[in-house]
Amino acid sequence: MLAQGLELLIDGLARGVILSLFGLGITLVFGLGEILNLLLGVFAVVAVIACSLLLRAVPGVVFAGLIAVALVALFALVLDRTVISLVYREDGEDRILLGIFVTLGLSLFFEGLLFIYYPGSVFLDVAVPSISVAGANLTGSSVAVIGAAAVLFGLIYYFFNHTYLGIGTQTVIQDETGAVLCGIPPRRVQAIIFVLSAAIAGVAGVFYALDAEVTPASSFTLTSFAIMVSIVGGVDSISGTVAAGIVLGIIMTVAGSLFGSYLATVTLFAAAIAVLIYKPEQIS
Amino acid sequence: MNVDNTLSSLRGQLPVVAVFAALLLVPPLFFDPSTTYLSRRFITVMIFAIFAMALNIIFGETDQLILFMGGIAAVGSYTTVLTAEYFAVSPWLTLFVGALVSGAFGGLICYVAARRQFTVIVLAIVTFAFQMIIMEVIVGLRDVTGGTTGIPFRDLALPAVENLTGMGAFAIQFYVLVGVFAVVFGVYTWLTNSKYGLAFAAIRQDEFAARATGIDVIKLKVFAGFLATAIIGFVGPFYAQATGIVIPGLFSFNGVDVLVLIILVLGGLRSRFGPLVGAAIVIYLDNLLSQFGQWRTVTFGLLLTILFIYFQDGVLPMAKSVYEERGIRDRLAGLRSGE
Repeated sequence: MLAQGLELLIDGLARGVILSLFGLGITLVFGLGEILNLLLGVFAVVAVIACSLLLRAVPGVVFAGLIAVALVALFALVLDRTVISLVYREDGEDRILLGIFVTLGLSLFFEGLLFIYYPGSVFLDVAVPSISVAGANLTGSSVAVIGAAAVLFGLIYYFFNHTYLGIGTQTVIQDETGAVLCGIPPRRVQAIIFVLSAAIAGVAGVFYALDAEVTPASSFTLTSFAIMVSIVGGVDSISGTVAAGIVLGIIMTVAGSLFGSYLATVTLFAAAIAVLIYKPEQIS
Repeated sequence: MNVDNTLSSLRGQLPVVAVFAALLLVPPLFFDPSTTYLSRRFITVMIFAIFAMALNIIFGETDQLILFMGGIAAVGSYTTVLTAEYFAVSPWLTLFVGALVSGAFGGLICYVAARRQFTVIVLAIVTFAFQMIIMEVIVGLRDVTGGTTGIPFRDLALPAVENLTGMGAFAIQFYVLVGVFAVVFGVYTWLTNSKYGLAFAAIRQDEFAARATGIDVIKLKVFAGFLATAIIGFVGPFYAQATGIVIPGLFSFNGVDVLVLIILVLGGLRSRFGPLVGAAIVIYLDNLLSQFGQWRTVTFGLLLTILFIYFQDGVLPMAKSVYEERGIRDRLAGLRSGE
């Protein structure tokens, strides 16, 4: 019983950190530039597909994953400089609405292209051996994901609290005009964060594909999960999003194993609705 | 003087008469009993035009963006089909139960949204989350809903009328939908020309100012929400009927909401004929692209992006303003009068 609980907790935690990363992808871009990036799932799926293709040429999933994430970052940079720039020209509620529709349109566009060229499902089978602790058989990939994510969270924490760019980003989140007065160019910071969020989504996608099959259709599901986690976490709070992801991941895994997988998803969306009804002013 | 007034009001009504006359002529001209494909497409145009009219009422008039139109249509359809089965009555009766349940659900959400002062985006996200929940629940409760295999459904037919008039089932369904469209069109026209239209405009301009002038903003928003979702819930079963089956896939976000949004933006927000024109264009495109598989998704994605970046006010209104700005109307008028 205890062993089973531990197994569930580790799987839940792994799912939680992946959700946290996806949530961060939304939180960073929305908190900073008020664009609800519905393209996020596409970045994740592109990273997974690139990683699986690269695995044929380069040794090791870590190396392949890093190159794939770099490619996704490049892809995001091109998008930011072109279409997303048109969205940033608007401001206030117009930007929010335009952001939703433009990224929705783009996500359909790329999802369709992915379906045409890579219609199958991808599963990064790296066969991490399972680990036995106190009679519990812990999923190897879950433990690896938790470890890697912990390092990543550390890096993200360092970036936002100890680098000039990170502190500049927090300034823009707090007050765009104030940031300009301090000599921080918001548009450049927004571009860097857009690319960073895509890279984070790419990493999350690769983590996700270690334990689940990814198809082009997953991009829509992953985006919707990311938005819900970000909302539960408070939309512009980085630590809130990380905490929300972890808690929701554990709840979803436990709910899933007790009541069936569809209720796990329902729990996630219901939590987001409850938070929005309780605190609708967090997105304004 | 009076005769002039009547004449000019008749002239104003001319486009309405022409459009409905054209709609009535569709079945005899295009419906071929040997192939149901084309008839089904026309029926889909009417269904999506009505969906877009509903979105026009709730989003166009009161600025409440809902992204669970597919989910609401599903609630309407499943309620209609399941209650008809359970009570062993005709779905023509339970259709109204479905609409009522959908409207109550939509109205309740709009009530909470208005009371908690949701912004457009909060309501959009909440309704999107409901869309996902509705889909999950329908798939999950497979004992009741049949899950992804669905429930075969063809009971919204009128065999007696078919026998009496000698028309095909699809032609009759099309006429029923034209009737529903006419009612929704009439309600919308009446709404926008009445004091409600003024109140809606006031809410769109400045909600607080509207409240200050004594407008009950919450009541009006709930009213618009109830009306729009009841309409969507009412038409949902016809969508299932046209396909012959009630399945969750029919009511997905991409399958309904995205298309309706494109239709509304193509036709123009708050335009009376926009939804019909938009639906005709989008369903025609959909038909054209269906043979190219996923290129359909690619094209619609691109269309959505371009429409929102460059034609936010709608293609029809934009064409109209270009037409007026360039003085084409005056030149045409000049030609007509021989100047």
